[in-house]
Amino acid sequence: MNIKHIGKNLGIWIILVVFTLWTIFPLVWAVATSFKTMTESYTLSLIPYLQFKPSWYAWNEIWGRMFARVSKSLINSIVVAGLSSLFVLILGCLAGYALSRFVFEKWKNKDIATWILSLRMFPPVVVLIPIFLMMRTLRLLDTWRAIILVHMLYNLPLAVWLMMDFFNELPEDIEESALIDGCSRFGAFVRISIPLSSSGLVAVYILSFIFSWSEFLFAVSLSYNRAITFPAMIAGALSVKGLDFARVSALTLLAITPPMVLAVLMSKYLIRGLTFGAVKG
Amino acid sequence: MEKREKRTYSLKFLRKWFFILPTIIFFIGMVVFPMIWSLSLSFYNWKAATGGAKIFIGLRNFYTIFTKDLRFWGDLRFTLFYVGMAVFIELLLGLGLASLLSKKIPFRNFFRVIYLLPMTAPPIAVAFLWRMFLQPDVGIINQFLQRINLPSVKWTTEVSIAPWALVMVDVWEWTPFMFLALLAAFQSLPQEVYDAAAVDGASSLQAFVYVTVPMVLPIIVTLVLLRAIDAFKLFELVFGITGGGPGGSTESLSYYIYTTGLSYFDIGYSCALSWVFLIIVLFIAIFVLRLLRREV
Repeated sequence: MNIKHIGKNLGIWIILVVFTLWTIFPLVWAVATSFKTMTESYTLSLIPYLQFKPSWYAWNEIWGRMFARVSKSLINSIVVAGLSSLFVLILGCLAGYALSRFVFEKWKNKDIATWILSLRMFPPVVVLIPIFLMMRTLRLLDTWRAIILVHMLYNLPLAVWLMMDFFNELPEDIEESALIDGCSRFGAFVRISIPLSSSGLVAVYILSFIFSWSEFLFAVSLSYNRAITFPAMIAGALSVKGLDFARVSALTLLAITPPMVLAVLMSKYLIRGLTFGAVKG
Repeated sequence: MEKREKRTYSLKFLRKWFFILPTIIFFIGMVVFPMIWSLSLSFYNWKAATGGAKIFIGLRNFYTIFTKDLRFWGDLRFTLFYVGMAVFIELLLGLGLASLLSKKIPFRNFFRVIYLLPMTAPPIAVAFLWRMFLQPDVGIINQFLQRINLPSVKWTTEVSIAPWALVMVDVWEWTPFMFLALLAAFQSLPQEVYDAAAVDGASSLQAFVYVTVPMVLPIIVTLVLLRAIDAFKLFELVFGITGGGPGGSTESLSYYIYTTGLSYFDIGYSCALSWVFLIIVLFIAIFVLRLLRREV
């Protein structure tokens, strides 16, 4: 029995290790490649010092010759993701609270919630052309404002849906006792419901930040120079100049790191967010 | 007294809408209005690149799509193939892994963090990362295959292989998500059911097929549909890895609409394409929304 038990455990371990290696291998390779010279980057070698001589070539390129473009697009990405997520949080909080606490009659709560969620389901490319024309008419092409608005469109449905979920989990009694004590509804919302759901608020903010940071289709369509975001900048920088593996790796890692750190901080809520609350991981 | 009640009623009414109206107005401005504009533009022949005028042509754009546009049908076929294969493989792998590892995983948080990496990476970064691996000449995978004396594979330049290469990248990116979500679903099941199944002499495979799967079926269906809807948006991998080639064999509908609208500036036609695409996705989305529309 013991041997069988050990065998089974060993099997599970092997599967776990193989799957983990498959998942992490491309990223590990990118880390190694980002410390190679351009010529070495095309060789099969993974272990520094043993198989290749580490070099700062790619990172020097990024912080040297490409510094102006890289720093500008990083700042753009941070500002766009930070501000759009903030606005999403404010609107999402209000709407989620309304759907959770009030009863809408003509247009029922369920219908409003479903409509809002459906906006997240359809492929964003179907509004690409009209929004491009709209931004051109308003002279907003290549500005922060255009990309912030579009990223809000991208994240607001999720925020409303998740905040509604979080407020549903809050017991209503506390708010009701505050209302009886003479607190206004808005006062109860600001002083009681919001502080009590603060972990939810942080989760929604970080999720929107990650999605906004990663968004590519609209970023590449609406920004080209002044307001270009980091993912859009990478695409431009790489398609012009062939494929320099060392630089690809360094730029890719730079794009992956911020959402990765944020995801690790809130790993508890990530699956829940990605499934619109259907799975509470 | 009566008057006062009336006033509070209308105040209540206003307050309700104060909370939700900003969101609704935002969506009207950013979705409803653009979609209506897009619909009206789809009745025009407007090639903005050549400075051409807008000419009203009625339903002719839609007529072209359904009867003559082989590129559209090819792209639709590829998109459906990609969505179907990717989601199917991810579900199989996810179910397999989650059922094997549902008991106790040592260092759980460590593994969880690793599995979160692919799905939080920006898709365009994933695309460039994999382009490095899939390059036919100097790519890492082919170099490795040569090293162990196997023939190299034309990952991105062979019509029959390139679609599979993109499916593979999607599987890399999203299997961990399926796995973690299914794992969470499995672990939320009560232990008693398994004890009862064990008392009745069920093997662990039987317990999985007859107990676990039926109980989490609603979640499985929801996950599959969510993933499918998401996979339909395929754009970055095409943009970054194949550019739609070879011979248009990996061009997704999103990529087609993007290039028609913003590279060739054939505005009218790309708006018509957008609407056709929207209606196709809507059919699938309706199922998802039904499932997610629990008690609100």
